[in-house]
Amino acid sequence: MAAVDAQTIGKSYGATAVLDGVSLRFEDGRFTSLLGPSGSGKTTLLRIVAGFVTADRGRILIGGEDVTQVPVWKRAIGMVFQSYALFPHMSVDDNVAFGLARRGVRGEEARRRVGEALEMVRLSGFGARRPKELSGGQQQRVALARAIVTRPRVLLLDEPLSALDRRLRQEMQVELKRIQREVGITTIFVTHDQEEALALSDHVAILDRGRIVQAGSPGDVYERPATRFAASFLGDANFLEGTVAEGGVIVGGVLVRTDDPLPAPGAKALLAVRPEKIALVPAWGAAPAGHNAVPATVRQVVYAGAASTYLLDGPDGVSLTVFAQNRTGGPVAEAGATVTLAFPPKQTILIKD
Amino acid sequence: MSEPQSGAPARRGLSPGAVTAALVTPAYLWLTVAIFLPLVAMLVFSFLTAAPFGNRAVSFTGAHYLVFYNRPYLVEVALRSLALGAWTTGICALIGLPAALALSRAFHGRTREVLFFLVILPFWTNGLVRVFSWTMVLRENGILDDLVRAFWVDAPSIGILYSYPAIVVGLVHAYLPYMILTCYLSVVAIDDEILEAAKSLGARAPVVFWKIVLPLAAPGLIAGSVLIFVPVIGSFMEPRILGGTAGVTIGTVIEDQFTQAFNWPLGSALSFIMLAVVLVVFAVFSRALRGRLTLS
Amino acid sequence: MTAAGKVFLFAVLGFLYLPVAVLVAMAFNASPLYALPFEFTTHWFEELSGNDKLLAATRNSVLIAILTTVLATIIGSLAAIALSRRRFRGRTLLQLLLLPPIAIPWLIIGTAMLVFFFWTGIGRGLHAMVLGHVALAIPYVVLVVGAGLNNTRIDLEEAAMSLGSTPLHAFFAVTLPLLMPSLIAAALFAFAVSLDQFVISYFLATPGVSTLPVEIYTSIRKGFTPEVNAVSSLLLAASMFLIIIFARLTKVGGVSGRR
Repeated sequence: MAAVDAQTIGKSYGATAVLDGVSLRFEDGRFTSLLGPSGSGKTTLLRIVAGFVTADRGRILIGGEDVTQVPVWKRAIGMVFQSYALFPHMSVDDNVAFGLARRGVRGEEARRRVGEALEMVRLSGFGARRPKELSGGQQQRVALARAIVTRPRVLLLDEPLSALDRRLRQEMQVELKRIQREVGITTIFVTHDQEEALALSDHVAILDRGRIVQAGSPGDVYERPATRFAASFLGDANFLEGTVAEGGVIVGGVLVRTDDPLPAPGAKALLAVRPEKIALVPAWGAAPAGHNAVPATVRQVVYAGAASTYLLDGPDGVSLTVFAQNRTGGPVAEAGATVTLAFPPKQTILIKD
Repeated sequence: MSEPQSGAPARRGLSPGAVTAALVTPAYLWLTVAIFLPLVAMLVFSFLTAAPFGNRAVSFTGAHYLVFYNRPYLVEVALRSLALGAWTTGICALIGLPAALALSRAFHGRTREVLFFLVILPFWTNGLVRVFSWTMVLRENGILDDLVRAFWVDAPSIGILYSYPAIVVGLVHAYLPYMILTCYLSVVAIDDEILEAAKSLGARAPVVFWKIVLPLAAPGLIAGSVLIFVPVIGSFMEPRILGGTAGVTIGTVIEDQFTQAFNWPLGSALSFIMLAVVLVVFAVFSRALRGRLTLS
Repeated sequence: MTAAGKVFLFAVLGFLYLPVAVLVAMAFNASPLYALPFEFTTHWFEELSGNDKLLAATRNSVLIAILTTVLATIIGSLAAIALSRRRFRGRTLLQLLLLPPIAIPWLIIGTAMLVFFFWTGIGRGLHAMVLGHVALAIPYVVLVVGAGLNNTRIDLEEAAMSLGSTPLHAFFAVTLPLLMPSLIAAALFAFAVSLDQFVISYFLATPGVSTLPVEIYTSIRKGFTPEVNAVSSLLLAASMFLIIIFARLTKVGGVSGRR
């Protein structure tokens, strides 16, 4: 096991910079997600760590050893591909044993370790089958067993769950997390699925256009987004733009307070509030003491059983979203109603545009 | 070390360019020696006064390219060759498109696969043997006559061997699978729902054919036509075997220059004129042919 | 309309196969003048075994076909790997250069070879025919193997490399086994192309050294007996056999399966 360091990685294809000086440390034994939209450079970063792509600039260190010039096959990595990439002409056993044979592990020892790996992914007894005789989820498990059986220093996962249907994907998330814990392997997971990243990771790094926008624990990154992109890519967010005044930010004539340190009065500032952090207070009620109170008009209510989504027009016509549980049976406000939005200054985050 | 366009793995050893060159050189060297240089040599040859063998003094001349002016009967032969191409192509289209439609619409699943294979199978068997088989069918008192006389004992012979129609029959037989193949690949892609949509909009069968099926089948029809027309104008053994004295085409004239008359420069010039015609045909229809010059 | 379509298609199939059936039937008919009624005999096939000229031509044909198969499959497959796996300048041009041997009438190519080989001293005969046949077969091999390579996935080689394979080992352990059906198909096709090739051989044959199709052509022009039918039937059976295996390996009929 080993930590992975990516140091000032740069990569361009022609005139387009795919990665622009990315530095990131993947701690030993930690599950780190690289999260970003397509084209953000997350897959390229993973393939540079794997050794399939050579970076134009920067270094890759695995366990402190510089592997920048080391070819893929000598990097001692394990990788699960989006397509699983199981060898169709080999049995499950032979697929899993492939990497062992490459490392000189054969015979009884190899059989034992293949058996262990298949047991770990709960596929004991499937060893003689061909990949095409397995379901998508089972193929996924074989791919995982094949990647970890060699005890690699780092496990690379390239959107491995994206081909599975929703239910199976949730099941596999639990499995993946369990196995990763058991093995304790440094894991780098590429995904564009924010929920998956939040559910699985110890650490999340959000990439946008070849740069790391924010990195941290899932809770930190979600609760304290640093930029407009981070806030809107990971979860939903309401954005309030205004001018800094004494004690808060004036947004459409309403003072919105935040616990974050603000720049000097008169400067422009951008605040973000998560939709579930906002309470809807009917026009006749009052916001709890100490909360921000922003008047708004309900434009539309989307009822979804357990919860409802309220689309509102706030000060200056800014479009706002609120999620609320349907505790009292049905929505608390109708379209056209005037309401007050109440939210604590602690949950009102100052972000960069 | 890294190729600009692909994410090449970090590796040592030979440069990618050297590996690529090593892989393609044998094939293209071979094609150069056996195809491209011979074509160049033939072009040179066609400008010589005589074949330069045995210390014979030769000089350059363009006279062979005036052959159609000097030997007017060759114009007639050339026109007959082109007409042969036109007849064969036209009849193949008239039979091939309906056959392709029938195959794609009247059959399904495994049956259709087997029938499709049966249609294209003859194409990959020896053309010479297939032409030869027609001599037994078409000759006087041949199988065709036997067949007719089974019903009408005193029927006069309808044997057409050694005639222009016999050549056309043999050539249609030789190239029909190609037309069915190219048309089939076009029409099998037509979704049933498109035809149903046309009908739901009030189009009757003939309108559906002219406005929907034919335009969608056109690429296959054009590809098939070119791929038939080109080899037919260069054919020589079919006219030879089925046409007898009626079977003089540019192909047989060229054959004669190389095997009987030994006027190689003239044969080369005629070959090159034919090649020019072929290239013009390909150039005109290159758009329709793109991606179709493969196996199937 | 469906019924009419079926009748029409079967009529077309009849047109395609009837003469061939007649040819084969006559090989088993006793009359040397092709007269009916049909009287079964294997006499003409027995005659073949005593026909030294045809036997020699058959030997030449098979020898040329084997040499062509080996050379064209190796040379063509190497080119196919470069053309479908590597991106380099001039790749499109190289792909385009595969078309002339397929598209230009054999008469033109055959006469050009005759001129060039005679001129350069390469001459005619077996070696010249191999030279010509391999050139005709290479484009087909490149197309068949290239199609096979396009179906084998790059990510499998990457997976092998992530598990410790060098690129060369990954190719031999993963890609080559998966490519095998295409390679065999290409080899069969090259064999069939060579075995059936007449025009090129015709111009490159010498009076002493010819191939089966060339001998058949000569016999047809000089006057023939059902012996020619017998040998033609054998040639027909050989190429049909090769193509049926080829089709099974490449699933040529499969294009009709998509709907």
